[in-house]
Amino acid sequence: MRDPEKWLSSWRNLGALTLSRHDLAKEGLTVSAFLPPKSLLKAAQELKQARFSLLDVSVLEAAEGFVVTYHFDSLDGPARLALRVLAPKKKPVAPSLWSIFQGAEWHERESADFYGLIFENNPNPIPLLLPDPEEFTSPPPLRKTTPSSIAKLGLLAQAEVLDPDFGELLGLANSPNAQGGSE
Amino acid sequence: MTGCNLGFINPLSVLENPGTMAGDFYSRNFEKKAVPGRIILNLGPQHPSTHGVLRVLCELDGEYVARCEPVLGYLHRMHEKMGEVKTPWQFLPNLGRIDYLHPLAWNWAFVGAAEKLAGLTVPPRAEWLRLIGCELNRVGSHLLWWGAFVMDLGGFTPILYAFEEREKINDILQIITGSRLTMSNFRFGGVCADGDSRFFRLIQEFIPYLRERLKMYKGLVTDNVILRRRLEGIGPIDVDMCQRYGATGPILRAAGSPRDTRQDYPYGVYDQVDFPIPTGPVNDSFGRYLVRLVEIETSLSIVEQALKAIPEGPIMMEKAPKVTWKLPAGESYMAVEGARGQICVHLVSDGGQTPYRVKLRAPGFSNLSLFAEAAQGTILADAIAILGSLDLVIPEVDR
Repeated sequence: MRDPEKWLSSWRNLGALTLSRHDLAKEGLTVSAFLPPKSLLKAAQELKQARFSLLDVSVLEAAEGFVVTYHFDSLDGPARLALRVLAPKKKPVAPSLWSIFQGAEWHERESADFYGLIFENNPNPIPLLLPDPEEFTSPPPLRKTTPSSIAKLGLLAQAEVLDPDFGELLGLANSPNAQGGSE
Repeated sequence: MTGCNLGFINPLSVLENPGTMAGDFYSRNFEKKAVPGRIILNLGPQHPSTHGVLRVLCELDGEYVARCEPVLGYLHRMHEKMGEVKTPWQFLPNLGRIDYLHPLAWNWAFVGAAEKLAGLTVPPRAEWLRLIGCELNRVGSHLLWWGAFVMDLGGFTPILYAFEEREKINDILQIITGSRLTMSNFRFGGVCADGDSRFFRLIQEFIPYLRERLKMYKGLVTDNVILRRRLEGIGPIDVDMCQRYGATGPILRAAGSPRDTRQDYPYGVYDQVDFPIPTGPVNDSFGRYLVRLVEIETSLSIVEQALKAIPEGPIMMEKAPKVTWKLPAGESYMAVEGARGQICVHLVSDGGQTPYRVKLRAPGFSNLSLFAEAAQGTILADAIAILGSLDLVIPEVDR
């Protein structure tokens, strides 16, 4: 199942906050979505059944919180896509995908090292690339002093905002007829 | 005391503080789940068969690996932070230092991500030069893996042959990159130097030479009964395990899945060359060995096609980015087929002087993460064979 439109409708049913269409040649992705954290495991389970594998977990710190991006690739052909979760600054927690993709353990431990994020249900949440906590007491190295907003980073430039509260939080116009990046 | 930690015993500290466990944070964490009576053995971080400074904690039941856990970070240099505090031009030489065996693929991943984001078009001659460099570099990487892998298994001679071939490749690549190890000839919008007549003549001579040598390799190593017994049936890794751990490259292809970024997400001029994707007849260590040897031949045939197709013309785009260049706001994701699998760069910019986020996805990182499961229940010597068959480059794993 590599049809991007099918994934968009599947994520819509899972309560996606935003949906985006991308240009694979220009951006390297087909589709992406911001999901509420509670829907992430369900979406990942569906991707696993459709023979997708987890490429990486890429975190960045924005003004609104930590954007955790999970990149997936298909074992049957080109169909790279991304799921995103926003972990708030006050409670920097994201769900662990370890129970579905065991490779997620290391990606999550690396992100925890760099950002101080907590991945719930990671089976071995100790430092991976940085030294042990007794030795390394500095703040997480990739934290920003003046983070940019998600709107300024252009992460959701062509997104369809489904959740008005989320759109307001990120300062995005809630336009139901927003166009995908298919030009 | 549940186990003795052979790698970290400090007799004095144990004598002075009876009852305290030897070891560090990671071995103490590993020992928590240890079964009494089993030995905990530290492989590395300086063990020769761990290729640099990988450390693997093993819980041994006799000679069998009951449980193991790689400990990373001994070569961690925080390239991702350097990507955020340096301008794209300043960060560019770092890419040759992430994976020292296939530096040009990392060059391509970062430069490609920036070019995608900024919408730059690279002149055709530069694209072909990138392809030739990248493929020759892949051959060099596979050759060194081949020599080191056979050395892991106890055969010393082949690595000397592999280095002879590798030196010839370095002679060729030195003409266009200026260096022999941490190569970096990619520029935003092209490459830095054109190939001269000597460059093309040396490649023309090298291709038939290596094809002859590959025949000797087959007789000397591939058909060797000792090697076969060390590899056949050892460490099967199927598509399911690759999917769960995100393994790519020769490991996934040996498992039987014909996935190759060069054909799935064609970049540069890879859509203009024709080549088969080798998949393994078997998914054990020997299968992974065979896939890499076939890939050497595949790369040679790609270079041959490139030599016929390369046009004359400029090697840098007009109005190429200057040192003060700023990336436009937005994100891009670029994947490149490295010698070890899918190299990905996730680049996010807010339009400032330096990139906002540079996420480097190293294929070796995901490939190594399956080792604990693949090695469980094998004899220690076989675990080393599995480790070698994963083709690890630790600076890339640790970044």
